[in-house]
Amino acid sequence: MDKMVRTSMRAMQGIMNRQTAIANNMANASTTGFRGEIVRAQSLYVNGDGLDSRATVKEYVLDADMNPGPIKSTGRPLDIAMQGDALLAVQSPGGEEAYTRRGDLQLTESGLVTTGDGHPVMGQAGPLILPAADQISIADDGGVWIVPPGGDPLQPQQIDRLKITSPQGSEIVKHNDTLFHVREGGVLPGDPDARLTTGALEDSNVNMSLALVDMIETSRAWEAQIKLITAAQEIDESSARIMQMPS
Amino acid sequence: MSNAALQVARTGLDAQNAKMRVIANNLANVNTTGFKRDRAQFQTLAYQQIVQKGAPSDQQNQFATGLSFGTGVEVAGTARIETQGSLQTTGNALDIAIEGPGYFQLQMPDGSVGFTRSGNFTMTAQGQIVNSEGLPLFPQIQVPQGVTGITIGTDGIVSATQAGQAEATQLGQIEIANFINAAGLQPAGNNMLLQTGASGPPLVGAGGIEGRGTLRQGSLEGSNVNIVEELVNMIETQRAYEVNSKMISATDEMLQFANQNM
Repeated sequence: MDKMVRTSMRAMQGIMNRQTAIANNMANASTTGFRGEIVRAQSLYVNGDGLDSRATVKEYVLDADMNPGPIKSTGRPLDIAMQGDALLAVQSPGGEEAYTRRGDLQLTESGLVTTGDGHPVMGQAGPLILPAADQISIADDGGVWIVPPGGDPLQPQQIDRLKITSPQGSEIVKHNDTLFHVREGGVLPGDPDARLTTGALEDSNVNMSLALVDMIETSRAWEAQIKLITAAQEIDESSARIMQMPS
Repeated sequence: MSNAALQVARTGLDAQNAKMRVIANNLANVNTTGFKRDRAQFQTLAYQQIVQKGAPSDQQNQFATGLSFGTGVEVAGTARIETQGSLQTTGNALDIAIEGPGYFQLQMPDGSVGFTRSGNFTMTAQGQIVNSEGLPLFPQIQVPQGVTGITIGTDGIVSATQAGQAEATQLGQIEIANFINAAGLQPAGNNMLLQTGASGPPLVGAGGIEGRGTLRQGSLEGSNVNIVEELVNMIETQRAYEVNSKMISATDEMLQFANQNM
C-alpha cells in the first residue's frame, strides 16, 4: 500500500483537530476574558534510509492569541477590565498562582473574592478576603477600598490591592485550567504601573469573521486530502491492473 | 460516532440559547417594579489533554502547553446586576422606593422572611400594610382606623395623623435588610428573593445608616433593564448562535464528503 494514504490520513486527523479548536473558539466567542487558541501544524519527519521525502503532520493548540478583546462597560462596581497587556493574578485549582484576563469578580459568603469562573483572586499576600463592608470599590491601580460597617461613606479605607502583573520579560502559556502560567514555573512580580478600568469587562478576543474564514479553509483542506486518498487508490488500482494476467 | 467539532459547536448553541433566555427575561421584566437584570456568565468547559506538557516534540523542542483541545462552553450561572433602577414619582403614600442598597422584608406564607426591592404596598381592610401579593411587611405595621395621612420617613419610621389630632403618632418602623453578598440571594419569583448560604445573614436596621439605602415615600423603583443594551446583547447572541450553527453544517459537510468520496 502506498505511504501516501497514511500521510493523508495523518493530515486529516490534524485537520479535524484544527476544526475542533476553531469550534471551541467560536463557542467561546462570548466568554468574558477568553483568549482565542491558535492551532499550529508541525511536520514530523520519518527518518530512515534514503530520501526524507515524507513528513507527516501534527496539529496542536500551541498558544493563545494575546490581542486585547473589546472592552464593554457594565456599570457593575466589581467588574474590572485590565488595560494593555496586564493580567490579574488568581489561584489555580492546583494551588499555584496563575493569571487571567477575566475580571467579573464575585464575592462569596466568607468574603473571598473570585472570578466569574470560580478562581480566588490574589491580593498582595495570598487570596483576597474582604471583611464585612457597606461599600466596596476598586481603584484603577487595583486598590480595594471599603467603607466598614457604620463607617463614613466619604472616607473609604484601602484594605488590600489586587495583584496585577505584566507578562513582559517572561513567557506565559495557557494551561488546561484555561489560566495563564509562567512557562518555566514561578510567579510574575506585581506591576505597580498596570492599570485597570472598573465597571467594565473585557469580552472574548475571538475574531468571528476570521474564525469563519478559517473554518471554510479547513473544510476545503479536508476535501483536498480526500481527493489525494482517492487518487492514491486509483494509482494503486492501475498498478494492480498492469500486473494482472490477461484473461 | 461522535465528532468532537460537532459536539463543541453544540455546546456553543446551548450556551447562546441560555443567554437568549436571560435576555428575554430581562426584556419581559422591563416594567417590573424593583426588577434587577441578570447577566449570563459563560465559562470554558474542561480541556482534554492529549499530549502532556513538557513531553519532547522532537530532539530539540518540548511541547510548551501540551496538546489540549477545549471542549466548548457552558453557562456558569447568572449574576444579578444590582445597580439602582430609575425612581418614578407616583405620589401614592404607600409606594416606597429604596435609594441605595437594601431590601424590604416580607413575611412569607410559611413564616420565613423574604426580601424584595419592589415597594408598591397597599393596605388591607384590617389596616395591615401588605405588598401586591398580600404578604405583610416584617415586622408588621398596623394602621389604626380613621387615619387621614401616613408619612414614612427616610429612615423607615411610619407615622400617621388621625382625624382631630394635631400630633402624628408613630406606628412602627420599616426595617431594611442588607447583605454582605446580595448577589447570592436566590430569586423566588413574584419579585421575591430568599436568603442563601452564599448571601450571608441579613443585616437588619433602619434605612440610611450602616450602608443601607434611604426610603423615599411616593416613589417606585423601576427595573434597571436598559432596553438598548439588551437589544445589542440580543443581536450579539443571535450572531454567535448563527456562527456556531455554521460550524455544525461545515463539519457535517466535511464528513459527508468523506463518506461519499472515499
